[in-house]
Amino acid sequence: MTDPTITAFDWVPPFAQGQVRDLRVRWAFEEVGQSYDVRYLSQGEQKEPPHRDRQPFGQVPTLEDGDLTLFESGAIVLHVAETHDGLLPTDRSARARAIEWMFAALNSVEPAIMDLSFVTLFEADKPWSAMRRGSVEERIHGRLKDLSARLGDKTWLDGDTFTAGDLLMVTVLRILIDQGFVESYDNLAAYMHRGIDRPAFQRALAAQMDGFTGEPPAWFAAWAAKMKQGEQA
Amino acid sequence: MTNPIITAFDRSPDGGRGLARDTRVRWALEEVGQPYDVQPMTVEALKQPAHLARNPFGQIPTFQTGDLTLFESGGIILHIALHHPGLLPADDDARSRAIMWMFAAVNSVEPAILELFNARMLEGDKSWAAERVPIVMERARKPLRQLAAHLGDDEWLDGAFTAGDLMMVSVLLRFRPAGLLDEFPTLAAYVARGEARPAYRRAYDAQHAFNTRSES
Repeated sequence: MTDPTITAFDWVPPFAQGQVRDLRVRWAFEEVGQSYDVRYLSQGEQKEPPHRDRQPFGQVPTLEDGDLTLFESGAIVLHVAETHDGLLPTDRSARARAIEWMFAALNSVEPAIMDLSFVTLFEADKPWSAMRRGSVEERIHGRLKDLSARLGDKTWLDGDTFTAGDLLMVTVLRILIDQGFVESYDNLAAYMHRGIDRPAFQRALAAQMDGFTGEPPAWFAAWAAKMKQGEQA
Repeated sequence: MTNPIITAFDRSPDGGRGLARDTRVRWALEEVGQPYDVQPMTVEALKQPAHLARNPFGQIPTFQTGDLTLFESGGIILHIALHHPGLLPADDDARSRAIMWMFAAVNSVEPAILELFNARMLEGDKSWAAERVPIVMERARKPLRQLAAHLGDDEWLDGAFTAGDLMMVSVLLRFRPAGLLDEFPTLAAYVARGEARPAYRRAYDAQHAFNTRSES
């Protein structure tokens, strides 16, 4: 049986290295001990037909496994979890709760966090970004505070067992690492680091970083200069 | 066997237009023919310990059946789909793709409309709103354009109607008040096909009646 193939970028800007969503799929594969192949895309290729056929939104990762092609990191992680042991409990209710946390990570926590990227990156050159920052941060803290309260002193979100829900939640929280958000909640920071410290995560992260062997595209230098100017204005 | 209980806004802020997330759970339950009960939640009750025990983020909907309590509409709908026939194909690959579209709806499409909601509603009175809202609108068009290109003239996203379509139609409906849905005729037609399903009608009518009921 041939290994599944995922897609990943051969280069992303420094701020995104170690954060691209193929990390989640690599981590899932590492947790269940499934080897995989990677098809690397250079920047721009994700918008072109061969990849567009795999991913209508022009993003990574995708998964090709036999006749099956999937996109959406959450769906791929769930597919890996359903077809291998180790990421979903067998008890029906515990399994439903693990899947619930997968959706919670992606739909209740991640959107609030992504809003910060508009302030700090994509709209950094706009005059309103500095003024928006407070309310964006407040919305993030709203989510983290609730999550921290629910986690309490548990090891993982649903108790003692690490699941695919934790895998996604840790990667979502890690988008904010060392920016003072997660670190404001001792239990949440400890939880995130328990995830990061897992050998499977460390192997996944190293594999993603090793994959950045490409060159930045022509537009990147100009974009970076414009954003830097915005930050200083 | 007692019916599952879902929570919904006591009075939805949308006045019963079906855009609150209990509608999608009602729709899933209607598709599989599972009767359910509804527990109304006031805005104050959402933040009380009893409800936070159901949903740590103090939101609706939640779903309770027997010993199991779930939150997150995606998690609830997938649970319903996994345990009743009718919302997921039997073929393993087609089933994985249906679940993929559920994730695509909530993670690749819905964030754009949440962002627009924040820009227009939460920050609508800010000095920068007039200049920023068009930028956010344009960003929201991007996934719609991509989805429209993918869907083409197909009836549903991957052959037969699945939980993926249920979720995608539910998310796309939220783009309609801003006028964005109708900019994409193929998506508007796709949503209309979803709305025409008898199960959707029943779900819509139930939430509408619930949200416009007179006080007893």
